[in-house]
Amino acid sequence: MREKFKGGLAALALALVASTCVLAPSVAGASGQVPLNLDNEQGMEWACSFNPFLPTSSPYSVGVTYETLDFIDALQNAKVTPWLASADAWSNNDKTLTFTIRSGVKWTDGKPFSAADVAYTFNLLKKYPALDSNAVWSVLSSVKQVGSDKVVFNFSTSAVPYFYYVADQVPIVPEHIWSKIANPVTDPISSPVGTGGYIMSKCTPQNIQWTSNPHYWQPGLAQVKTVNMPAFLSNNTANEYLATGQSQYGAQFIPNIKSYYVDKKAGNSYWFPPVANVSLFPNLTVAGLSDVAVRQAISYGIDRAAVSKIGEYGYEPAASQTGIVAPTFSSWSSSTAMKSAGSGYDPAKAKALLKADGYKLDSSGVYAKNGKQLAFTVITNGGYSDWIASMQVLSTQLAKIGIKITVDPITSSNFYADVYAGKFQLAYNVETGGPSPFYEFRQWLYSKNSAPIGQAAASNWERYNSPAVDKLLNQYGATTNVATQHSIMNQLQTIMVQQAPVIPVLEEVDWFQYNTKEFSGFPTAKNPFAQPALYNEPDWGVVLLHLKPLS
Amino acid sequence: MRYLVRRVGFLLVALWAALTLNFLIPRLMPGNPAESMMAKFHGHVNPAAIKALEVAFGINNHQSLISSYFEYINNTLHGNLGLSLSYFPIPVSTVIMRALPWSLGLVGVSTILGFVIGTALGAVAAWRRGGLLDSVLPPVFIVISAFPYFWIGLLSVWFFALTLGWFPILGGYTETATVTWSFSFVGDILWHAVLPAFTILLTSIGGWILTMRNNMITVVAEDYVKMARAKGLKPRRILWQYAGRNALLPNLTGFAMSLGFVISGAILVEYVFNYPGLGFTLLQAVQNEDYPLMQSLFLLITVAVLVAIFISDIATALLDPRTRSSS
Amino acid sequence: MRFLSSLGGALARASKFIRRDKKAAAGSIILFVLLLITAFPSWFAPDNPSAEIYTPGVGLSWSHLLGTTSFGQDVFSQLIVGTRQSVMIALIVGLLSTILSVGIGITAAYSGGMVDDALSLITDVVLVIPTFPLIIVITAYLKAASFWLMVFVLVITGWSYGARQLRVQALSLRNRDYLLAAKARGESSWYVICVELIPPMTSLIVANFLSSALYAVLMAAGLQFVGLGNINTESWGTMLYWAQNNEALSIGLPLWALAPGVAIAILGSALALLNYAFDEIANPALRPVSARRLKKAEA
Repeated sequence: MREKFKGGLAALALALVASTCVLAPSVAGASGQVPLNLDNEQGMEWACSFNPFLPTSSPYSVGVTYETLDFIDALQNAKVTPWLASADAWSNNDKTLTFTIRSGVKWTDGKPFSAADVAYTFNLLKKYPALDSNAVWSVLSSVKQVGSDKVVFNFSTSAVPYFYYVADQVPIVPEHIWSKIANPVTDPISSPVGTGGYIMSKCTPQNIQWTSNPHYWQPGLAQVKTVNMPAFLSNNTANEYLATGQSQYGAQFIPNIKSYYVDKKAGNSYWFPPVANVSLFPNLTVAGLSDVAVRQAISYGIDRAAVSKIGEYGYEPAASQTGIVAPTFSSWSSSTAMKSAGSGYDPAKAKALLKADGYKLDSSGVYAKNGKQLAFTVITNGGYSDWIASMQVLSTQLAKIGIKITVDPITSSNFYADVYAGKFQLAYNVETGGPSPFYEFRQWLYSKNSAPIGQAAASNWERYNSPAVDKLLNQYGATTNVATQHSIMNQLQTIMVQQAPVIPVLEEVDWFQYNTKEFSGFPTAKNPFAQPALYNEPDWGVVLLHLKPLS
Repeated sequence: MRYLVRRVGFLLVALWAALTLNFLIPRLMPGNPAESMMAKFHGHVNPAAIKALEVAFGINNHQSLISSYFEYINNTLHGNLGLSLSYFPIPVSTVIMRALPWSLGLVGVSTILGFVIGTALGAVAAWRRGGLLDSVLPPVFIVISAFPYFWIGLLSVWFFALTLGWFPILGGYTETATVTWSFSFVGDILWHAVLPAFTILLTSIGGWILTMRNNMITVVAEDYVKMARAKGLKPRRILWQYAGRNALLPNLTGFAMSLGFVISGAILVEYVFNYPGLGFTLLQAVQNEDYPLMQSLFLLITVAVLVAIFISDIATALLDPRTRSSS
Repeated sequence: MRFLSSLGGALARASKFIRRDKKAAAGSIILFVLLLITAFPSWFAPDNPSAEIYTPGVGLSWSHLLGTTSFGQDVFSQLIVGTRQSVMIALIVGLLSTILSVGIGITAAYSGGMVDDALSLITDVVLVIPTFPLIIVITAYLKAASFWLMVFVLVITGWSYGARQLRVQALSLRNRDYLLAAKARGESSWYVICVELIPPMTSLIVANFLSSALYAVLMAAGLQFVGLGNINTESWGTMLYWAQNNEALSIGLPLWALAPGVAIAILGSALALLNYAFDEIANPALRPVSARRLKKAEA
């Protein structure tokens, strides 16, 4: 009986293994063309919700299915391409914005698109504030359709930079469908109807599939017929998918990208354009950090190139204390500010600054004044191992100039709570940014973005408060004159160098891998027609539109 | 009868304790899912919209702790588990139902297989004392059971998947495969399940073999087994129907508990293999501060364990009269 | 005095077994070596474990016995220095957990009645609450992911199984004649517990200690692997975390991911082997028997 039992078991095991090896999984593909497989790891399976206003689902519908009034490219100095709107104009002292809406566009259910849909969309956001994820109604006073093809936006306050949010970040939805939805805040919108080039054809928790819209209003685009976005639970699986050549367009952080990805297959390429700054936010209410000399010393004491090389495999370039992201926003760079920032890494200057401010090295090799050591804790997001590694490198460097830094990685949820409430000494984090450096600067420096310690501040976590800077930011917000804008940004950069209220360390990049053998038309450094990362809306939709199959 | 009443009473108390613990823990912890959400999608949510999200998620609605508690108990008893925050606006129950089959499938089957095979091997090892099985198995499995099982997972990935290429590296299925009940899709699932199942089997089987072997040795030394041998019964019959059945009893409680722990026990295996089960979902829920999902999963796991223990207690009472008369 | 002598007697029997039983001997030697490394890591580690100054991605070589990480740190040194955390967690959690188990289990068994019912209820409730999820939730939310927090969490979730076991055994001993005789003599409860009740249970208590220690090592490694430990300190679990996050296996640095696991396995095996040996002391029927002797007996 024992032999029979064991024999039976062996046979069963063999049968199982044999059956799995023999049966090959079938891969879905439509119309004979190679499908484009995307690689965008989100750490969870898909919810199959496509509500374009909820941050949990908008990345999967805005840009591909739902479109916006204009398309603004951050990589081409905020170049505006008219999209669903064919023209726009400011009037009334830059307090009124009028869009002319394009004709000849159809919704994917065949009904015609019109200015009424645009006015309806914006007023829907007013009715349901939970949908207004760009807070456009904090500056708008009314949105009305005028005539058959114009929509007029009246602003309650000068907010020219909000053009970006209104024109590029609000997806337009069809009135004839949404007016019938009971609660748009909790409706998952499982079959989205939009004007975009791709229709969501199938969604399971494991994969979202889109097919191209045959009646798309831009002729010659959306040539890739089938697009798949499988769900990945962790970076490792997603990276394997790219490395084994199953995906042709990815948005991954890949360690050792040359040996892991580039060398594996012909045509494997990557491009990481920088878009914002990952910075040290010093809590300006903490003793020591409230000292300008200390902050400047910290900035000069960081060897940013080394932090990038060891912590980020060199993928994220060194940032500048002026706060301008190079080369993306180099046209905004002020040469005066750059000169006073010097070479960036200057430990001798750092020590000199501290000494001149009255700090002396104590017995443990740390600078101190009046018995108080320059010893701080920096909190960072515990979920990003590369940030933790970068902070560890930084702390070794600052130890050499006599400032003691302890790295404290905190679980994401606690981390953001602490950052927003100001419960930290130093924090390593990134702001949202926008298509030009002004957005990041305003998030950093505008005092009204901040809040007292203990209350949540949406940005300006260091609690910087300068009426002069507020005035400059408001002036920028009230003008469309480019020369004025540049002059204001120059002044702000000088303040960044002189006061170091925020210390940019590295430049945050768009993660982007692509293979040129099966598809062409990807954005490159020479042709940066859109931000390439798959998690940027509506940019990744624009990228998809321009791709062409090669076989 | 008294025994039954005591067990039911215990079940209810434990259930209440779990529910309350479940309710308190996320509320005592700092953090706010709206802020966490904001940060997760940085780049596409205007930071000033945080208030709007809080309203949508139903947090910070200034309800007192006591009234929230009773509302929570009421909702849970009615099966209303709320909307998930990280999968907003999909309901929690949908998220759980999606992940449940994967956990039950992989971990459930591996656990049952491990129990059956391990117990059988342990019984045989004890029956043939001093034989090959008896001297080789225990030390080998002692060592294996001391390995962190997620590390065995990593090792098998490295050896069987990366180096030899026999099995897929990670996942529950090929991502872009057609999800139907076709022969090929089922085959795909099985192909992906081999390595994680092997990991779970390898690490759990040692425990079953050893405990069964130890129990058997004690039982084999008993008089009634000698009597059975003296009477001339076939050794195989004595092994399985006399000694085996009695030696199995203490293991049943352990088996029931391990079934109950099917979900939580596999968290690390699911993490290493990216298997979309409940354990992995719990880990993600914690990292995303998805209170409703986290609470429901925690509750599900606790209820599963409690029910499993309760059933095993009843089964033990039915099978072993001695327990019914303990003081 | 009598307590010490009966305890001493039990320990003497135990040490005789360690010398005779191969498994116990192996376990003890391994543990001794690890304790040595814990006490004097600098004797064994050639480099500074956290210095990121060596060539990253080097494999097995004479200057780096186990290669380097992708940050340029020496893997072997990390392994040596990380020994301390794992060994300390094992011993401390084992000790505290056992003290709690002994205290609660024996009190419940000895007192009987309402006290027993209440303590048993608490033990069972703690037993059924799923530990790993609970630990994840707690450590994810409490601020400082420190060593002592992990010890605390592991102790309060790990004592219940041992308490149950000890209670059962204490119950069976409680009604033995010699205990009743001691009570009749008028000895105090403390005397009865410490001198007459605990010593016969020594092997079970030691086994409890060893399995708690093993549980602590594996749980702590699991938590650190997922990133819930203190990422700043060197420990085997944290090495696995970094290796996993930098895809060590896929970029040709398998030693980085495999070595810490082997180390954990070595410590765990030592504890498990000793545990097994103590099982055999407690139950003589389990002691190894050679096949020839068995055949002779059956003939």
